[in-house]
Amino acid sequence: MDSGEITASKAVGLHFLCVVGLAAGYGIARVGCDLSLVTDPARTLRLLLVVEGPVIIGIYGWVRRDRGHCSYWKAVSRGLLGLPIGALLNAFGAIVLGAPVGLKYWLSTIYWSSLMSLFTFVPAVCVFGTSRTDWQRILAYSKPKEGIDCVISLPAQGAVIGAWLGAWPMPLDWERPWQEWPICVTYGAIAGYSVGMFASAVFVQLLRRKVHVKDD
Amino acid sequence: MSSPSLTCGKLASWTIAAVLLQILGLSLFVIGFFPVKPTLPGFSGPESYRAPTCDPVLDAEERDLPSEKLRTLYKELSKVPPSYDRLVLMVIDGLPAEFVLGRGDKPPTKAMMEAMPYTQSLLSGGKAQGYYAKAAPPTVTMPRLKAMVSGAIGGFLDVAFNFNTQVLLDDNLLGQFKRIGWELVMHGDETWIKLFPRIFTRQDGVSSFYVKDTVKVDFNVSRHLDVELAAEDWNLLILHYLGLDHVGHIGGRHSILMPAKLKEMDDVIKMIHMGSTLHQQNPDANTLLVVVSDHGMTNGGNHGGSSYEETDSLALFIGSGVKNLDFSMNAHKASHQVDIAPTLALLFGVPIPKNNIGVLLRGMFDTLTDEQRLRALQLNSWQLLRLLQAHSPNFLCGDVTCISDEDSLQTDQSISTVKENLCYLYSRAISAHNAWLLHQISGLTSNDADDLGYAINSYYDFLGNASEWLSNRATDKPINLLLSGIVIMLISCVLLLNTVFKLFKEVYSTLGKYCSQPKEISQVWQVDEAFVLIGLVIHALSLGASSMVEEEQYTWHFLTSTLYLLFLLTTIRSLFKTAASDLMKMKKPEENLTLLHLAVSNDEISYTTKNRSSPWTELQENHKIYPVLVVLIFGRILRGWHQGGINWVHLPDISKLLVQAGSFSINFLQIFSLLNFMLVGSFAFSLLLLQQPVNAIPMLVIFLQETASIIYFSSYGSLHKQWIEVVAMLFVGMAGHFGLGNSNSLATIDVAGAFIGISNHSTVLSGILMFIITHASPMLSFLSMLIYISLKDMNGLFPSDLRWSSTLQLLIGFPCLLPLVLNSIVLVAFTITLLLMRNHLFVWSVFSPKYLYLCAATVCVYIGVFIIAATVVYTGTVLFMRTKNLNSKLHNFG
Repeated sequence: MDSGEITASKAVGLHFLCVVGLAAGYGIARVGCDLSLVTDPARTLRLLLVVEGPVIIGIYGWVRRDRGHCSYWKAVSRGLLGLPIGALLNAFGAIVLGAPVGLKYWLSTIYWSSLMSLFTFVPAVCVFGTSRTDWQRILAYSKPKEGIDCVISLPAQGAVIGAWLGAWPMPLDWERPWQEWPICVTYGAIAGYSVGMFASAVFVQLLRRKVHVKDD
Repeated sequence: MSSPSLTCGKLASWTIAAVLLQILGLSLFVIGFFPVKPTLPGFSGPESYRAPTCDPVLDAEERDLPSEKLRTLYKELSKVPPSYDRLVLMVIDGLPAEFVLGRGDKPPTKAMMEAMPYTQSLLSGGKAQGYYAKAAPPTVTMPRLKAMVSGAIGGFLDVAFNFNTQVLLDDNLLGQFKRIGWELVMHGDETWIKLFPRIFTRQDGVSSFYVKDTVKVDFNVSRHLDVELAAEDWNLLILHYLGLDHVGHIGGRHSILMPAKLKEMDDVIKMIHMGSTLHQQNPDANTLLVVVSDHGMTNGGNHGGSSYEETDSLALFIGSGVKNLDFSMNAHKASHQVDIAPTLALLFGVPIPKNNIGVLLRGMFDTLTDEQRLRALQLNSWQLLRLLQAHSPNFLCGDVTCISDEDSLQTDQSISTVKENLCYLYSRAISAHNAWLLHQISGLTSNDADDLGYAINSYYDFLGNASEWLSNRATDKPINLLLSGIVIMLISCVLLLNTVFKLFKEVYSTLGKYCSQPKEISQVWQVDEAFVLIGLVIHALSLGASSMVEEEQYTWHFLTSTLYLLFLLTTIRSLFKTAASDLMKMKKPEENLTLLHLAVSNDEISYTTKNRSSPWTELQENHKIYPVLVVLIFGRILRGWHQGGINWVHLPDISKLLVQAGSFSINFLQIFSLLNFMLVGSFAFSLLLLQQPVNAIPMLVIFLQETASIIYFSSYGSLHKQWIEVVAMLFVGMAGHFGLGNSNSLATIDVAGAFIGISNHSTVLSGILMFIITHASPMLSFLSMLIYISLKDMNGLFPSDLRWSSTLQLLIGFPCLLPLVLNSIVLVAFTITLLLMRNHLFVWSVFSPKYLYLCAATVCVYIGVFIIAATVVYTGTVLFMRTKNLNSKLHNFG
């Protein structure tokens, strides 16, 4: 299995780069452009997107599955194409769950759903492309069987669950600026994503150990 | 099949027992938590000037006197001459006393001082007497006006049960004034007209509906001022200015419009005061100007709760007799809003309203003689004593005995001691009064001022304590009753849960034997099941936060949409999983080929024989997605239809747009949805007809959501367990309940709709109609459940040799038990929350209305479950009998 399997150190490094990308994006927003999520969510999200996007597409393109048939640049272009599709799916979910649809919010919604797409859909597209069996495995069975499944699905699930939980404080009447859409949802998503990446790093280790035991 | 451990009869009896227990526990809790305060019926008459006795004698002749004679009779009896002849009651909606009097020892801010120069000059010149008239929650206009004119604080249920009439029927100042022949004039908030429909000689009501309007609303009041001030015919002029409240709602307490609005109010005060001082030359018309506010406002401009900012309302007396003797600013006394009623009553020579719990304002009677002052206090005390006797019979009847044990005066909290304390204070006040009178008669003037001061203070001691006790009566809760109610409800909840778990085990052990569903579905935990459980816990917990209760519509929409998103995910997964399920489905047709199943299995056979990727099967599979998408998208439209809730209710939504667009579009949409309803089905027709026109489309949307859910669930090879499907339909019903614009505040009940088609006033009929309108959506979900039961492909669920009772159990077990269980869990959780929150700031404004809604929802669940059970049992019985007949006939034939 030279194409699909991912080593534990590779997974940790990959996640580390993703975290660094996010942190760098946020740092640039805070220090460089004097932006924060609370004061200007749309522009901050755009900055995060611009910084984190190339990182994620670049990294996951590098661990693409079908190395034989697919060049690195093809994987990258797949990721770029997947970004708006995933954003559409995420936006659909968010709006159905009650995200505001007014003109005031549509820019934030676009950037937020693109960011969510980066967390959830883009990695899978970069790695799997249009391989039906891979998609079937990752969607149909909740239990991951290979390391790369963990690396893709756990952070994605974490981001979605985190965003879902992040929406709960929104109706409270605390009159805090961060209760606005999509600020606390973004916080929740980033927190969930980080937890998911941590969990995935741990799981990859465990899976490898299992495989080793079986091999012995 | 082996005899089931849980027979149908057993199941039904357990359920009925649990329901009866729940009713018992609920009624115990409700009786304990919402005490109905005893109120005295009728109006105070001449008898109020006599000492209270234990057997009241009604003087019918004295009551029916013509107004002129009544007025002179009052004057004779009361021995407190009216100090004024004309009253201008100026209500400034939402003005916090802080703006005029400052907070505590601090004077108002400089901007506020400058905004009201005339009023401030009156105050500093000692020509006006200002009070902090603390308002009782709920700090909204109508109950506060009632408190001001009747001196009584209504209990919570008074507010809740007075939905059918807003007319103030209790004894009140305006009624008293009318009885002595006063002419009353009102300009301003139309709430007054709702409270007193036919009392005013002239009236001009303005609506508080257009909150954005801060100018016209006050201009419409002030334009009458010139005429009214010149007119001689009225005795009471009420001016109710709404503009300041609107300013607060738009821009909050520190809005830039506020100083200008205060200046406008100041000008009105100046105008009235100048006008009345012109009349001063005429000694017959002595005018008192009373400036009051009904409530204050928070920093954000809202009101309704019980924070200091909201209850901080003003009472300002400006008149010739008013002398503020100590000129300093901090002489303004803390008092209560209810104190305005008795003060005005005695100042104008009418009896104090019967249910008043207010106390005469200190300082308003200083210009009277000493004898008259004591007499006024005595009248107030007698009135409060009568009210106390209504609360606890035999209170202070017969001899005044408790004066002897002066030592036993202790401030214990138990009720009997409080009663004894009140009894003692009353006796002391009366004897001090008598002692002073004795001294006057005997001409002993030794320490006259001391005697007087002692008598006055004793009276105020009694009045203050009695008033406090009476106002606390409404919140006085017997803890034993509450706890026993909760325990009984808890037992009932556990019973129901136990029954449902047994049923669950039963059904799925049967399923294990005759497994016909894909294996993954019968596996122990599925995502949607876990989610439903977590969601129920989150919902129960969220009811502990007041703002989550206020905004419950978000919770329900969020949970319902998430559940359907999970369904969507499951469906997509099943699309990807076709390879795995092929094997399962090949086995299935051989398992049980009943008649009903034939069509379905035909499909499956063709399905298995054909190529997996053939377009027909793809279409079949894809079709499963559409009902879910329909539910999701319609759910979002429903969420956008009414903003709902409390805090963001002003945000734009579709219903407001439609109202703005005019009646044509609403009528068009109503007719559109009526036609659709007739096309799709008419069983819920009446539910729609009763709704407001703007709710026609949401009703249709809910109906379509339920239909789509039924289609999704009843298609063959359902991807979910039956209990999840039942829960999903209930969730849609609850989300729809809030989607129709309902909230957990009593304000959103459609009172007007409750009188559709009723020719004369009937509380029962209109109550039933109101119930149907409010709970239309859950009702619809119960009715849809019936369709669901009849359409559901149950062949997979039970083998053909099952007996009738077991079939019945499988058919209606979950649809009947789950609503009861879910409701029971929420009910118990919220009852405990309510008990814990009984001293919370929002207990009357947020938690108690929610509890009433929950009680109504419980009734709704009972009705729905009864309908389901009755219909299915009846149909089942008929079917069973027919089959039996047919079988015997076949036997005979054979």
